[in-house]
Order: sequence, then structure tokens, then C-alpha cells
Amino acid sequence: MNCAETESLSSVVIPLLKGVVYRDEKPKIWEDLLRLQGFVRDYVKVLGLELNLDESEGYAFLGSVEEEEGADRPRLVARRQLSYPVSLVLALLRKKLAEFDAGGGDVRLILSRDDVVEMVRIFFPEGSDDVRLIDKMDSTLNRIADMGFIRRLKGEEEMIEVRRIIKAFVDAQWLSEFDRRLDEYRQRLVEDDE
Amino acid sequence: MDLDYRTLEYLRQNHPAWRLLRAQNAPLIASFLYRVFVAPNIRVISQSDLAEMLEDDLFVLRQNAGTDRFPGTALGYLNDWSDNDKGWLRKFYPSGTDEPHFDLTPATEKALVWLESLIERVFVGTESRLLTLFELLRQMSEGTEADPDIRVAELRKRRDEIDDEIGRVLSGEVSLLDDTALKDRFQQFVQIARALLSDFREVEHNFRSLDRRVRERIALWDGSKGALLEEIMGERDAISSSDQGRSFQAFWDFLMSQSRQEELTSYLDHVLSLDPIAEMEPEPRLRRVHYDWLEAGEHAQRTVARLSEQLRRFLDDQAWLENRRIMDILHSVESHAVALRDEHPSGGFTYMDETSPTVDLPMEKPLYKAPFKPLLDQVILEEGHSDLDMDELYSQVIIDRDALSRNIRRELQTRGQISLGEVIALNPLRQGLTELVAYLDLSSLWPYVVVDEEEKEKVCWRNEDGAFRSAIMPRIILARSR
Repeated sequence: MNCAETESLSSVVIPLLKGVVYRDEKPKIWEDLLRLQGFVRDYVKVLGLELNLDESEGYAFLGSVEEEEGADRPRLVARRQLSYPVSLVLALLRKKLAEFDAGGGDVRLILSRDDVVEMVRIFFPEGSDDVRLIDKMDSTLNRIADMGFIRRLKGEEEMIEVRRIIKAFVDAQWLSEFDRRLDEYRQRLVEDDE
Repeated sequence: MDLDYRTLEYLRQNHPAWRLLRAQNAPLIASFLYRVFVAPNIRVISQSDLAEMLEDDLFVLRQNAGTDRFPGTALGYLNDWSDNDKGWLRKFYPSGTDEPHFDLTPATEKALVWLESLIERVFVGTESRLLTLFELLRQMSEGTEADPDIRVAELRKRRDEIDDEIGRVLSGEVSLLDDTALKDRFQQFVQIARALLSDFREVEHNFRSLDRRVRERIALWDGSKGALLEEIMGERDAISSSDQGRSFQAFWDFLMSQSRQEELTSYLDHVLSLDPIAEMEPEPRLRRVHYDWLEAGEHAQRTVARLSEQLRRFLDDQAWLENRRIMDILHSVESHAVALRDEHPSGGFTYMDETSPTVDLPMEKPLYKAPFKPLLDQVILEEGHSDLDMDELYSQVIIDRDALSRNIRRELQTRGQISLGEVIALNPLRQGLTELVAYLDLSSLWPYVVVDEEEKEKVCWRNEDGAFRSAIMPRIILARSR
């Protein structure tokens, strides 16, 4: 690697350490990233990280390398606990995206807060009044926005865009884990009742 | 498709174009959309620009027709016109912006073209169209003739005709089009040129529905994976290899060449400078109609490219299988979640990695910088007035707008619509006029709102010093939905 390449490598790796890199937002960094993919992969491996890059969706991020059992290295990528409502809304947003893609036409999935409330209504106690449900959704959506899976539109506070990177995190593996926990929880409820 | 009773009944109920013609405000809608989209050949307008133009039109109309004639706001109208039950505008978010944009739907364009045709033409030329039809027939029969002898005979015949004409011209016999023939041809040129322009919206629309049909087929596929792959391979270029796709491509290739553009420009300039044509006072835009075609074509071209790319992504074998698996799991997740609706798990329930390593930079806080002190000299100080009421400065109030919109939403849970006066009667004003203004502002942003200028409502509240205050305002009706 020559100096110029080291220079570009820094300009790619540092943003990746700070957050997701989107093609649309940072075309220059994206170009360098595609060119230096191999170098980036080797470089972050040392830190126990791997590069996840989706060229057709136009995003890239660093994730933890799956540890073998017993390996005891600290993780650089934090693993967060998610509450039940946050998990549920994530799953439902992922479903919306799948349906949206099957419908064709547009790339950007944009929902209003009311759409989200309608989407979750049947999963909340009957008769829970709208005001509380909306407040609940607002805080849930804020949490999901902090995680980077949705963004509120500028100037249209009631509208959110579901970012396509959600596909990389709410995948079949995560969903089946979520499903398994739900199943266990229900079993426990039944046992407690007996 | 016959125009039988049932078909027409269905169209009357469901076709946006017919709905537009039946609409109460059809003259407003059609004239406005014609002026902003069709006349200048514009395909995408941002919400703020479009709303501003509509607001101007409404202002003029209200001045002439009375204020109660058009009660809605411009934004309200635009959202109404782009709702699915109207379908006159397409509302969408282009990439890279958070502001909604609008375009006409092909149905609206059809209605506008038909309305335009109601206005009588000066004269109807028939000769040039007959010649055009004849030429089309000739192209079809020659273009499908495989027998070389017949082809050659046909070409020889045409060459003899050309030789004759050359001979006539050389001997000083130049035949010219007379004025009528010229006008006739020009009129036909204008018609086809404009029709071509308005067809582009339909072309795009058809590409989009083609795309949707392909995706539906794939989403509902329940055959084997091998069969799907075969299907997918066949569909990869479903859009660009359709009849419409190929015709569009041919049009595009023809128009794209530099020499062709120059040729069109010089022809147009020449024709438009002819006296009989100039007398017809053609639209000035015609001079650059080929650039308009190019622009419209480019727009369609981009749409096709984008759709094809997305379709490929959607057909990506792995993504497709993942999507199907996800839908299966989600099905199970949903049935569990419905069963748990009354007993939500508390606390942390699942885990997820963050989207990037955690980099904490406590030292990244900027250090203290001495504030910039502007030094004023050469300023003559004047005596200030001390009779100002300083209280205004200290009595700033903060209005919780979210609480106010919650009040409105809460009242709308038990009824379909409510006036702002009733909302305030049920939720008395605690911060007086400031709060009332905030309510009015929220109402103007409410998605389904009607202002009835005829009816007045009175709102009362008590000041901080206990004095009674009241305000008269037009009746503002807020609705849950249409």
C-alpha cells in the first residue's frame, strides 16, 4: 500500500467506526470503500470486526466477528437489550418493507405515525386509548430512530422513512430468535396459570 | 373492450379521468393542473411550489367567486387529489429529499386532452392524415416482404419516380405545397407532437404496472425453486423486452443522435418561419418540442432503469428466499403477539447489535474559546425611550403543542368530526390567546379540515388577572378522516 492508499483507507475506516456509511449520503467515501474493500476487511479483522457491505442497497457497516465458544475478547460492537414493544415494531416494520418491495415502484418506504399506530393496534390490549398508544409509539419510534433503522423526515415530523439497513439486522435469524422467545414466554404464562 | 353499459358503469365509478370530469371543482382542478404541468411540460413539482401556485389561483378565484366557494387549503386540496379514491396526482418522495413531490397521473392527462378537444379547431385537415396512413401501410407491407424480387421491383419503381421528379425540377418545374396543404400538415404535426408528449406519462405508468405484475407473480410463486429460477431468468428483463420497452428504446435511440437533433432544429426553424404557418400563430414552445420529447423521454428512461435495477435486486435469489422465510416467521410472530396483547413481556426481551462499534470520545468536546467581542466606535448614542412596557419581555409562555393535538385527537375518538370551538369548550384555554393561536396553527396543519366562513364561533377564557376575554372566529371543523 502506498501513501495515497493509506490516506484513503483512513478516510473510509474512520467513518465506518463512527456509524453506517450510505452510498447516497457520502458518494466519495462509498467509492473509496468499494475500491479498498479488501484492505478494509483485513484491517478491521484485527479489531474483531467484519465489514458488511451491500452494494445493491448502498450501505456498509462494521459488525462483530462471530466468536467461537470460549473465546473471551471484549466486543467493540455493543449488544443492546430491546424491550418487547421495540422488538415487535422492528419485526412489523421489516414486514412492511418486504410487502413494499413486493409491490414494486418505489425504493423509499415512508410511513406516517398513524400508519404505525394502525399497524400495531391489534397487538396491544383492546380498548387502550389512542392517546396512550400514540405516546407509546412515539417513544418506541424514537428508540428505533436512535438505533438508525428509521429516520424522521425533515419538515414532516409525522412521517418516518424505514431505512433499508433494517434488512441486515432484522433478518431471518433474528426473527426466529424473537419468535422462539415469544413461544417460551407464552408457555411460561400457561404454566403459571396452571 | 366494448363500450357496453357495464363497462361504462364501472369506468364511471372507478376511472380517475371520469371522476375528474364529474368532480364539483373540475374547472378549478383541470385548469390548474393544465397550467402547471401540461402547458410547460413539467413532470415533477415539489409540494411547497405546487401548494404556493394553487394558493395563488385560489386567491384569485375567491376574489371573483366569493370566499365560501373554495373552503379548503391548497395543501388539503393537493392531498385530497392525490388520495387513492381520487387518483389525479401521484404523490411520491424522490430519493435525496424529505419533501413530497407530485406528478400528474396518466388518467388526468387523458381527461385534460379530451377537454382540450372540446374547443373547436379552425379547420380539420384530412389530406395529410391520409398520406400518413398510406405511408404507414407501405412501411408495413414492404418491411415484411421477404421475397427479394418483389423488394427490388418496389425500390426500382420508387427510383423511377424520383428520377422523374429530378427531371421536372431541372427543367424548371418546381411543385410547391399550397398554403392549405401546408396548414393541414402543420396541424397534424402539432397534434402528434403533443400527443407524443402526453403519452410519456402513460408509458411510465405502464412500466410501473408491468413491474408490479412481475413482482406479484414472484411473491405468489409456490412452485419449486428450480422452476422459479427459470421463471426469474425469463423475467430479468421483463420491462425492457416488453413491446412497449422495445418501442421506447427504438424511439430513444432515434432521438438521441446529435445529428438528428440538429436536423429537427433546422426543420422546425424553417417551417415555423413560413408565412402561412406564422399566420396560424403556433405556440412558441413548438420550436423546441424535440427537446421536450428528449426531456420526457429521459424521465421515462430513468424510471425504466430504476425499475429494472430494483426488480433485479428483488429477484436476487437469496433475497427472495430470505423474504419468504421472513414472511413465514413473521406469521408465527404475529399470532404469538396477538395472543400476548394483554400480557406484554416487560424489560429487555431481545438483543441486537448496534450498527457500529462504540467510539466514545469524551475529549472531543471543544475547549473554551473566549467569546468574540465586537468593538463599536464612531457610533452616536441616542437617548432611549423609557416608556416601554417591559412586562412583555418577561411574560413569555411556552405552549405544549403536543398536548393540544392530543386534545383534538382525544375528542375525535368518540365522533367523526368536531369544531375547534367545541374542542376548546371541552378543554378550556389555560394560556389565553397564545394557546388559541397555537390551536389555529395546528388546525391549519390538520389533514382533514374545513373552514366555514359563514358560521362564527365564540371562544371564551379568563386572563391571569381573572378578566374575561372572548374571541369570534370562523367555524373550523376538524375531522378524523374524510
